[in-house]
Parts: sequence; C-alpha cells; structure tokens
Amino acid sequence: MQEFNYHRPVTIAELKEFLSQPGARILAGGTDIVPRMRQGKFSASILVDTSGVKAMRFIEDQGSEIVLGALTTHQETADSALLQNINPALVTAAESIGCQQTRCRGTLGGNIANASPAADTLPPLLVFDATLLLQNKEGERWIPIEKFLLGPGKTDLREGEFIHSISFKPMIGSWGAAFIKVGKRSGMAISVANAAVAVELNDKGKISDIRIALGSVAPTVIRCRKIEQALLGKEPEMALMKEIHDASQEEISPITDIRSTEEYRDHAAVVIIHRALENAVEQAKERGR
Amino acid sequence: MKEITVSFLLNGKRTSVTSLPNRTLLDVLREDLGLTGAKDACGGEGECGACTVIMNGNSVNSCLVFIGQIEGTQITTIEGLMDKGEFHRLQKAFVEAGAVQCGFCTPGVILTAKALLDNDPHPTDQEIREGLSGNLCRCTGYNKMIDAIHLAEQGGLHD
Repeated sequence: MQEFNYHRPVTIAELKEFLSQPGARILAGGTDIVPRMRQGKFSASILVDTSGVKAMRFIEDQGSEIVLGALTTHQETADSALLQNINPALVTAAESIGCQQTRCRGTLGGNIANASPAADTLPPLLVFDATLLLQNKEGERWIPIEKFLLGPGKTDLREGEFIHSISFKPMIGSWGAAFIKVGKRSGMAISVANAAVAVELNDKGKISDIRIALGSVAPTVIRCRKIEQALLGKEPEMALMKEIHDASQEEISPITDIRSTEEYRDHAAVVIIHRALENAVEQAKERGR
Repeated sequence: MKEITVSFLLNGKRTSVTSLPNRTLLDVLREDLGLTGAKDACGGEGECGACTVIMNGNSVNSCLVFIGQIEGTQITTIEGLMDKGEFHRLQKAFVEAGAVQCGFCTPGVILTAKALLDNDPHPTDQEIREGLSGNLCRCTGYNKMIDAIHLAEQGGLHD
C-alpha cells in the first residue's frame, strides 16, 4: 500500500483547511479509493478522511427542496422513508449498489465525485435536476449535476474543493420516477446499463413532462433530451418502444468493454427506458387518483 | 508517513492502537491484535466478504476501511461473539445445519447474518440471499447457510 500522511478533520472548517494543502485528496467511504490505492491506480500524498465530519451526513426536507449531505451512505438513502416519497428512483438505485457491506460504507458524494459512467445514483439525480453545493477554503458555489460530470472519472471539482451536499426539488401533481438497471448478475455487479425516468402526466393523461437519464452508454451518465422530446405530449399507453429506439440512435454512444458489448447496450438501453417509463407512469396514475 | 493512534471499542473492550495510516482495519486486527477470524480472500478488493466485521451495527468489509476511519466506532469480530465460553446461537446453528465446510468464509458470513438479523429478526429466504450477496463461499454452498440462519431465528437464537 502506498504511503500518505493522514488527517481526520471533525468540522467542515478543518476539512477545508486540510484539503487546501497541495496533494491532498478526500476520502469518503473508501469502497473505491482503498482498493484503487492498493492497486496503485489512485495516489495521494495527503489523505483527508471525512469519517469524523458528522455535519455532512444528513437527509433533510427543507420545504421547497430535499437536501442530502454528501456523506450520506447508500444504505441510509435506501432506508429513507422521506426519499421513498420524493425520489423513489434514487432509493431503488441505492438499494441496488454492491452488497450490504459496501452500501453501509459507500456514500452519495463519493459516487458522484467518482463520476463513473456506470454510477447508479447518478441517473436518478439527473432526472431530478439535482444541484451540488461545492465548497473549499475560498468559498462555495452551486452547480447542476449534469455540468459537474465531464468524463469517466472527470468532474468540475477544483483545487481543494469537495461536494458538501446535493439538493433537488420534489415533483408535484401526477408524477412518478423509476430506476432500472441490468448487470451480469444481481449481486455485486456493476451496471451494464442503467436508466432513470421521471414523468408527469397532465389531466388528459398525456406526458406533460419527462426526464430520462442513462448510464453506461456514453462517457458520462447523460440526460437523453432527444428521447424526452420524442415522448413529450404522447399518451403513455401507446407502444412507445419505437419512438424511444429511433430517438436513442442519435443520442447514445455505447462501447464494447469487459462488461458488455455495444450492440447489447444499444438494445438494453431502449428496453430499460421503456420499463422505467412504464413503472413511472404507473406511479403517476396512482398519484393522480 | 506519520503514525496515528486510534481508539475504538473492540468486542466491548476499549482499545487503542498506534499504526501507520496506510493499513486497513483487517491488517491491524490480524497482525497487531492477533484476531485472525477476519480473513483476506480476494486480495483487498471488497469482493468476497471474508473480512467482514460489524462496525456500529453494520456489516462492513474490514479490508476497505483504513485504520483511521474506525476512530470512535464499535467493532465486533467473530472472536467477540462468544459469551462466557458459549458459542453464539448463530455459530451453533451453523454447526447444527452443516453450514461450515472449510470454514474460511464462515466468520464473515456469520457476522453478516448477525447484522442482518439485528436489523430484521425474521428475514425471508430472498432477503437472506440478498443480505449474503457480498459473501462468497467456494465449498459449502449457500443453501445450508440459509437453513442455519432460519434455525438461529426460529429458536429465538440470536442475541
């Protein structure tokens, strides 16, 4: 294991101070960083451990917005009754990550900052237009999550900056939000493709708002605006598979890698969007009653 | 690289260790504290669950936890399950159901099962399967483990 100097701040002010040192990297749950450091794929001369910073571990209903501390674990997200009501797609995604052991350690902020194209919590955050609060010693700024993700493992995080919290607005009216993923097996598998769909139906039962995000089909998790456009105003009962398929051809660019092939991902993306849409529409009708 | 000192509750006892920070909880348990129940089977990838311990009520992979991260936590290892010379009811149930063959994965499986039952005293087969999905076994197979966990649960066996 490589060498590093270790700091364990307990306040956010201390965290900012330690992270402002050159070569400092942040450690959240460690489920990704620890094995990568062991393999020499991640290096830090100073490791700043956040396990003592309790003020960044919360799930709060602030009225117009739901705010989640970046250190909220996947298990805490999965167990949250509040989130089940507000963003059920995020709860399903958190439940599907890794196994019990990794869900109890891995954090939402860590999953976002890792910026894996296959990250499961990202599609449900993208369809809720989540905003990240980033902080460092100099100050703070808000950024839409979509703008934050730049490429595989690449984000807009600047020197000394960390994700403090994630916020999004609840949907209102007849809405639903669902997450579906496909992997090689159900336990411990990294997604071959994943999708989140959030939908709102108007009083005529037509799609009045739709947001779709896909993982593992492009360098980052992406919003699929062309597919959204193709479905807007449609009746959800119609067989929309063809619309999804045709619009997806211009939007996604999956590759063949160790987990799957381009062809399979192309096909799976259409199927999981359709399934997630069906599930979200079912919820929307239930809420509209 | 500077050494750090970490204090935590290990199997109910206040414990303090001084270590280089680039070691994991698994390293310290096995090499410094002589507790070899937690095993390394996958080489520190967090894939196999053989190093599972209970940390603040949750099962975690001790190979993925740097030693500094356990400051102020409560850790239970398989060595801490015995009470006054008696095996824990889950341990007895694993013997009873024949859920132990080579035994290498067993400490991790039993601790995962304990955290599972502590959170949900009557899990379904499916919930047990999902709960154990982070623990690999290469010889016994999983059905007998599920039998054992139900056995521990039925007798009101778990503490």
